[in-house]
Amino acid sequence: MFRHIDPGSPIPLYVQIANRLRVAVATGEIPPSAPLPSVRQLAAEIRVNPATVVQAYRELEHEGIVESRQGAGTFAREVSDSKKGAERHREARRLVRGLVTQASVLGLTREDLEHAWKSEIGGRS
Amino acid sequence: MTTHAIETRDLCYRPGPGFEIRDLSIKVRQGAIYGFLGPNGAGKTTTIQLLLGLRRARSGSISILGLDAPRELPRILGSTGYVPERPHLYPYLSVAEAIRYHGAFYPGFDWSYAEQLRKAFDLREGAKLSRVSKGEMGKLMILLVLAQRPDLLVLDEPTDGLDPVVRRDVLSALLDFCSQGAATVFISSHLVHELERICDWVGVLDRGRLAAELPMNAFKNGIKRIRLGRAPSLVGDTPFVVISQERSALEQVWVVRGWQPTMVQWFDGVGAEVKEIVDLDLEDGFVELLRGARAPQEG
Repeated sequence: MFRHIDPGSPIPLYVQIANRLRVAVATGEIPPSAPLPSVRQLAAEIRVNPATVVQAYRELEHEGIVESRQGAGTFAREVSDSKKGAERHREARRLVRGLVTQASVLGLTREDLEHAWKSEIGGRS
Repeated sequence: MTTHAIETRDLCYRPGPGFEIRDLSIKVRQGAIYGFLGPNGAGKTTTIQLLLGLRRARSGSISILGLDAPRELPRILGSTGYVPERPHLYPYLSVAEAIRYHGAFYPGFDWSYAEQLRKAFDLREGAKLSRVSKGEMGKLMILLVLAQRPDLLVLDEPTDGLDPVVRRDVLSALLDFCSQGAATVFISSHLVHELERICDWVGVLDRGRLAAELPMNAFKNGIKRIRLGRAPSLVGDTPFVVISQERSALEQVWVVRGWQPTMVQWFDGVGAEVKEIVDLDLEDGFVELLRGARAPQEG
């Protein structure tokens, strides 16, 4: 799930982790009441400072996306459909923004992108 | 109650002509994972040896875990796990013997944790150290210090020369240990990408002097490469520190430190045109910082 964590990115690691989990909750990859990995597990698994994981979880808790239960760990909460939708849109925008930035660095035009867009996914319903 | 696991003040040491450690003041917050960066020959290993009493400083003071060094070294070393640059274990011991030997020095040695790590690392009890691979030696070294359950870990290039799989195992074990308590980690490495993931503080040593010491986020966000289309004609005081400037016919490229987004207004004020502000990762930032520290000072 965390293959895309990039320590070289200017986006702080804790934000990257929180983003990834937010999307996972929004898409149902992590269903309501499912446990999140413990701080210890996740830090060792993706090799980041445990404090970074704690910070990501704290942010998600603050947003009401997860809840921590004393002694039991951190769990996904039931998230409203509108909130899920908003999160999915936000993630989609993030992806497109990155794409557009890269394209402009490479000197690709809007037409190039639109053409590619149609041939990749435009035909599918 | 101390808040710093390591604190040195004005440390000076001169092993001979041509190299010296000068006025070295390091502060390592308790519970931090502190990355000690620097090019080869900067004095990282020497500094670590000074901290742990393997060399004596000419002047300055050292406090470790709230205790004076070298006066209280026995107590300090009792709570400190040290992985030296080169393994120091007797080659004729087996893995199991090395664990028993090392553990005997530490009353609080956690034998069951050592066994758990040995299994996780896939180290054979009977393997002779003279025959084990470099990777197995690296895993054994980290096993020994983690099972001490120390308050402070001092790791001198703990993953140097290890293959990526072993490096991953070693770092995972280290981070797993860190999650269990409030240990402080002081880790020297030139594998910048590795430190970028795990450290929350960075100190950069260059030619025996501390070039920078700051939280990782501040380091990463504070150093920018700025491309200017139209350069300011006259530069007075800048709200940031200019590390380097390069001029070409078309543009100027500045590398600055202590950057904050609002500072872009300063360029407007002096009539410069900002074309792009580029984020630098730790490695680029590190290289730029050293380049700046070494450039001859103007005026």
